[in-house]
Amino acid sequence: MAQYYPGTSQVAQNRRNFSDPDYELEKLREISDEGVVKILGHRAPGEEYKSVHPPLDEMDEPEDYIREIVTPIDGAKAGDRVRYIQFVDSMYFAPAQPFLRSRSYLNRFRGVDAGTLSGRQIVEARERDLERISKELLETEYFDPARTGIRGKSVHGHSLRLDENGVMFDMLRRQLYNKETGKVEAVKDQIGKVLDEPVVLGEPLDEETLKAKTTIYRVDGEAYKDDKDAVEILHRIHVARSEGGFCPE
Amino acid sequence: MDIQIFPHRILSADTTELVLNKIEALDDVHRTVINGPRLPPEDLDLPPQYREKRTINVQGKEIDLKVQTGRIFVEISQESTIDEVKNICQDAFPFGFEINIGKFMRTQKTVTDHMKYGDEKIPDEYIGMTDQSAKLSDRLTILKKDGN
Repeated sequence: MAQYYPGTSQVAQNRRNFSDPDYELEKLREISDEGVVKILGHRAPGEEYKSVHPPLDEMDEPEDYIREIVTPIDGAKAGDRVRYIQFVDSMYFAPAQPFLRSRSYLNRFRGVDAGTLSGRQIVEARERDLERISKELLETEYFDPARTGIRGKSVHGHSLRLDENGVMFDMLRRQLYNKETGKVEAVKDQIGKVLDEPVVLGEPLDEETLKAKTTIYRVDGEAYKDDKDAVEILHRIHVARSEGGFCPE
Repeated sequence: MDIQIFPHRILSADTTELVLNKIEALDDVHRTVINGPRLPPEDLDLPPQYREKRTINVQGKEIDLKVQTGRIFVEISQESTIDEVKNICQDAFPFGFEINIGKFMRTQKTVTDHMKYGDEKIPDEYIGMTDQSAKLSDRLTILKKDGN
């Protein structure tokens, strides 16, 4: 049995759930395919996919065992461009966080390239696969309209105080809280281009749900030091790394 | 003596208005400064359901809100006022807050102030109310207590 993450806390269990490809994540909201395409901003809804090479069937590929073993993903088969989606997760109990995202993406999706930074996480894939993956990421537990930002650029804000309504700071103000409906709406695409029509992302999750779903250890939630099991494994890794030596002579 | 109120969330215009009105109603409060990230002027172009920037009414005076409130500095003279402020904050900030005692507003002219105002006589209360690059008239609102 695969061992994804140590620990006995709820946070550790949530981390295991995300990392386990057999675990079905809860679907929390409905976002249309068109909405996803609009937020990504890589092509207009309904527009053909641009390609960077002819479909694989029409190409003369060199003889190669690996090419025979690995089934290409749809986007690669069609020759799509590689595009991206980037998320920013607030430190205030966002459901996911960058390292966990990368870990779980690589377990759950094929043909993706995940890049992790302290406050943001980018994933690249062929365009049609990216759209499928993005839809899943936006509709399931990975995403909370208030605490998670879809930001291709100007990502600053993950460690700042939240607004009173729970929305994370965004200098480009892409996701705005609608006071009349109580829902968060994307009024700009991920790089800040204004959309003709806002895309409704749904109601922000309440504080209790977020605390139950989060994968972030915090002293005002579940503290890392209280998760003895996780700390013990961390110590073991630390000792093994130190004793193994970085550059033994 | 100054106190700094540090709410654990950035305040909306409604809460700012409510809290400022209650704080300004206290007799012992001399000066109040609100500080935080600036609200962009384009905010007014947004549809009303998204808008944050508006004019608030504090003790009968209209004030153009230029920032989202992240901190409130209050100058007081008695320690007992802190408890009153704490009570106001407990009602208004369900998400938590901190109150720190210290000195948060300047009381002496700096070199920049001398360069900006020259030898002009400006009242002591105006010193330290804005940053050097701002115009006093843009940022300062004078509330007269007891109708004087």
